[in-house]
Order: sequence, then structure tokens, then C-alpha cells
Amino acid sequence: MPLKTVHEAKTQRLEILDPEGKVDAALRPSISKEKLLDIYRKMVEIRAFDDKAFKLQRQGRLGTYPQIFGQEATQIVPALCLEARDWLVPTYRGQGAYYARGMKLRQSLLYWGGDDRGARFDDNLNNLIFAVPVGSHMTQAAGLAWGAKVSKHDAVTLCYLGDGASSKGDFHEAMTFAGVLKLGLIMLIENNQYAISVPRAQQCAAETFAQKADGYGAFGIQVDGNDALALYKAVSEAVARGRKGEGPTVIEAVTYRLGHHTTADDATRYRSQAEVDEWKKRDPVVRLRKLLLAENALTEDSDKKLHAEAEVMVQAEVAAYEATPEPNPLDMFANNYAVAPWNLIEQRAEFEEILKDKQSRNEVFELPPVEGRFP
Amino acid sequence: MPELNLVQAINQGLQQALEKDPKAMILGEDVGLNGGVFRVTEGLQKQFGKERVVDTPLAELGIVGTSVGLALYGMHPVCEIQFDGFLPSVMDQVICHMGRMRNRTKGRNSLPMVLRAPHGGLIHAPEHHSEAPEAYFTHTTGIKVVIPSTPEDAKGLIIAAINDPDPVVYFEPKRIYRVAKGEVPAKYYETPIGKARLAREGTDVTIIAWGAMVHTCLAAAEKLDADGISAEVLDLRTLSPLDLPAILASVEKTGRALIAHEAPNTGSWAAEISSLIHERAMLKLQAPVQRVGSWDIRQPLFKLERYYIPDADRVVNAAKKVLSF
Repeated sequence: MPLKTVHEAKTQRLEILDPEGKVDAALRPSISKEKLLDIYRKMVEIRAFDDKAFKLQRQGRLGTYPQIFGQEATQIVPALCLEARDWLVPTYRGQGAYYARGMKLRQSLLYWGGDDRGARFDDNLNNLIFAVPVGSHMTQAAGLAWGAKVSKHDAVTLCYLGDGASSKGDFHEAMTFAGVLKLGLIMLIENNQYAISVPRAQQCAAETFAQKADGYGAFGIQVDGNDALALYKAVSEAVARGRKGEGPTVIEAVTYRLGHHTTADDATRYRSQAEVDEWKKRDPVVRLRKLLLAENALTEDSDKKLHAEAEVMVQAEVAAYEATPEPNPLDMFANNYAVAPWNLIEQRAEFEEILKDKQSRNEVFELPPVEGRFP
Repeated sequence: MPELNLVQAINQGLQQALEKDPKAMILGEDVGLNGGVFRVTEGLQKQFGKERVVDTPLAELGIVGTSVGLALYGMHPVCEIQFDGFLPSVMDQVICHMGRMRNRTKGRNSLPMVLRAPHGGLIHAPEHHSEAPEAYFTHTTGIKVVIPSTPEDAKGLIIAAINDPDPVVYFEPKRIYRVAKGEVPAKYYETPIGKARLAREGTDVTIIAWGAMVHTCLAAAEKLDADGISAEVLDLRTLSPLDLPAILASVEKTGRALIAHEAPNTGSWAAEISSLIHERAMLKLQAPVQRVGSWDIRQPLFKLERYYIPDADRVVNAAKKVLSF
């Protein structure tokens, strides 16, 4: 018997706004001038923040920090396609997505400054604390989407991951559940070309990450990740599919990490300046600016004002971060259990004595009030 | 002898093992071109090529699982998990396969492999980058667990681990990666697995420790010395199998012991050691054995980690408690 084709697949790539600011009118999503300006403003703001955070780390005023330089569009745009009832599950390089969802940037500074209070989010934001062990959040995102389905809510879950995390078994498991259960899960792969030093070609032998969707009965698409309009269209359509119960989507956003992996990394060890320069020509912020200027949504003057305001906002966040009093060390005993067991009660009492002793020897100075629930 | 730090000593041990053993290979995230995030494998891919020093995809469970397969085929894989906090995802392979293959196959298959990972805190690192997960491994039968505290042992133990017929988990105390310096023989040599090292002789109390905590305990011993207390410090070097004769010999001499470590006390390897001492040397003890560990809570971010992981003062206080019993 002749071989029959039982399955064929194709993967498409979406590009709408090119690096010169030229737009494909046929593909352009319906999006108001105000919304587009809001996207641009937030991209400018997060770039200003990122630059400042990098400098703070170099000055010893912040711990290890993962830059998002170059990934402003993939960070800001997808998160802005969500409603408040939807869930955001970002990666550790997620300060931009958090910011787009209304979180104050001082939170990110506190967290990367080694202060656990940075991860105490507002109760009214459906933003999950990110997972540092790469990829371990993906099945949780499927669980959140499942919860919405079981609860008959039309909320979706937007899960970020990197090109590296797509290699983990967790991706397979999350997509398997999402496909079988037809969950409103959007897996946004920020393909920034590197998992620390390991280049994309060594991460996966397939031509695209988007085509992975096919193995789970999901819809997959590749987009230019530095193209705010393409991201907006792809994510909005995925959100609509998810709300209608049509199942999960994999979006591969092809972008580039212009900075180091983190401030502890030295990217010059594994990639050339020529490669970085080539990607700088595809800057996501610059091309959106060109479009807005061309369409008179922005002028040189209003752009200058917008940048100045971004600087002021970032300075205010840094000031708020640095004005935050040191945490009381006793806080670490709070919130480990709903009700602390005997060993924690004993150990906290022992630690309180140690702190008093250190204070008596001037090794620890005045402490702020204790925060958090104990026992 | 040349003076090396811990990173350089491990690197030299790996380099000599790769030279000597054609079946030895290194695999992990960023271990090749980047030389590892701590530079422990610096220069090795350049010397031995991309087939023997391999940058893997980002998949920890896959790294350990393929290492099991490589070892079954007869290779001697040395795989790296980049941070201690990423180890939980590999436990499926460690517990269900690495530790059991020899016994499950009734000796037909063995796994001469090494799993390297950094260990411990106090380097101001992000979350999940500062943990002390040794008890999960020491609790698992069929594998050996080592952790050096000096450059000389770091080199000798990595060579011994690669040559060992059983799987060895090799922890690297990252806090002392660059500050622990010492003379390291240039030759190829093994530090025996299963043998502790007397780091400091004393008569009044035995302090048992491993990894970076050995250095904390040596500082504590100096403080105790100023108060007229002579502390003996035993650096275990191998956590499993324990050097029980060395532990008992010291405890029987001093009659008092404490165990200091970075992990929380509950269910810890210190608990096992304490139990063994009580079972085997009860009548030689002048006081119950004390454990000095981190608190039984989630490890806080780095602003508070110095209050979480025991410092020399907590070791001193525990020693005085043991002595005043």
C-alpha cells in the first residue's frame, strides 16, 4: 500500500512593522493611537529603568540583575493584551511584563536588591511570582488556565518562557495538558537567541520554536519579537482563542538580548560585537518611534518630554527603593506556614536572643517593626 | 608547589582526568565556550574539543538522564548542574536511577559518573542560587557524596570521583571558590573518598563540618581559643559514606561534639551524624551532641541570608553550650 500523508503542518511568521517604521496596512491590527502611545511610553520607561538598574548594580546598590535591553516589545506588548482577570506568569527576566501589568518598579528593585518584600505583590494583580529554576513555572501556568476553565471563567493565562526553557520537559508537559484540556494558555517564547552562552542553534534542531505547537494540537506562530504591532496582533488573537475555549497557542517572538544574561555574565565571551550591532538595527523602541512620528502621534518635542518623564518616574522608583528601611531579620520566620509549628516558634525565640546579643555588641543597629504573619 | 584557589584546583583535576581517561567527558549548561558560570571548566573545551566538553540544551533532568545513559554505554560523564537550587528537578534520575542501577541490574550495570554542582550561600546571589541540598543526596542509597574545603582536596576528590566505579555527587562550596587558596600538587592524584581530614587539633570539643562551613568553624575555633577552649575541627570531605572511625575517634577523645552546616537542622545530614554518635559513643559523651544549622524556614533573599546561615558566633555559642552541660 502506498504511504499516505496523515499530517502536514506549516508555520507562519508575522511581521507588520519593519525596522524602518514602515507598516503593512493589510495586517495592521486595530489599535487606537492612545493605546499605541501607551505601549511606546511603557517601552521607553522600561528601557530607562533597565539602564538605571544596570548602573545601580555596577555601583553596588543592587544585586545581580537580568537586563531586558532589546526585549522591550516582548515584555510590554503581550502583557498589555491581557485584562485584569487574566493571569501573567513571567520569567525572571519579567520586570517589563510586571510593569505593564501595573506593578511598581520599586518592587523589582527590592527583589533584585535581595529583599523579599519585593515579591509581595498587590492582591488585585493576577501576577504570579516568577520561578528562578528555569521553566518550572510552565505546568503551573497550565494549572492556572485549567482553574479558569473549571471555574467557567473566560480568563486566560499568559506564560512567558525563553528559548532555553523550551528544552525542558516542563514545556512538553504543560503543552500536553493544555492541548488535551483545550486550555486558554498562551506560551510566549521570548527567543532572545541565547540561554546564557548557549546559542539558539544548539538549543533545538527544529527550524522554529513555533512549530512545537503542532505536536500538541495547538496553534503556533512565529512573530518578529521586535515588532510591537505583530506582537499585539498575535497575542490578542491568542487571547481571543483562549477565551472562546479554542485551546492553547504557542507564540515564538524572535528577539535579541542586547545586554548580558545578567550583571554576573560577560556576553563578550561568547558572541561578537558585529552580531550585537546587527540586532541593534532592529531595535523595537526605535521602529515604533518612527511609526508614531510618521503618523503624528508623536512629535520630536513630545517625545523629548516623554523621555524626560520616564527618567523622573525611574528616579522616583529608585528613591523609593533606597528609602525603604532594611527588613527586620525576624520577618523571615513569618509566612512559612499558615500557623507556625513548634520548631519555628522555638527557633524564632532563639534567633531573637541572638539579635539582642548582636545589638548589645553594636553589630546590629535599630530594627524596624516586624512584618508578616507569625505564628 | 603552586598555590591555587578552589576553582583552579577543580579545573586542574578535570583537565588531568580528561587527559588521562579517554572516556571522561564533561557536559552541562555553559560549561564549554563560556567555561562554566564560575569558570570551573575554563579552557577545557578549547583543549579537548566540543565532543568531550559539551554545552547542552537547557534541561537539567536531561543532563543527568543522558549522563546515566552515557555511563551505561561505558563513558565516564562528569555532568554539571549550574546551581544547587536547580538540583530538585534532577532528583527523579538521581533517586530512581543513579542510586539504584547497580542493584536493580544485580551488578550487571554500574554508573561511573560524577554530578558536579555548586553548594551553599553567602555570595549575595539570587534566589535558588545559595542552597545546601546535601541531605536529599546523602539520604539516597547507591551514590557517594563529597564536598572539599581546600584546593588540594578539591583536585584530589574530583579525580577520585571520576575514577570511582559508583556515581559520585561532587559539591563545590561556592563561597570559597576564590578565597580558599592553598598549595596543590601538580601531579595527578586522588584524595580518598570516605576519609575525613583533621582540620584543627583540639582537646575540649569536636566540631564536625564540611564545605565552606569548615572555614566558619576554624574561625569559631580561634574565638574559642581566646576563651581558653581547645576545639578540634573535623572536615568530613566525604558525606557519604561517612568516615565514622574518624568521627568516633575525635568524639571519644573530647567527649563533646557539635555539627555545623548550612542546611536546616530538621532531617539534615547533621541529624544522621548526631544519631550515629549517640548510638556508637554514648558512654564517652559528656554532653548531648549539638547541631548548628540554618533555621527550618525558606531561605530568605540575600539581605537576610547572614542571619539564616550559621556564623562563627553561633558555632561558638553551641560549643559553649556543649561545654557547660
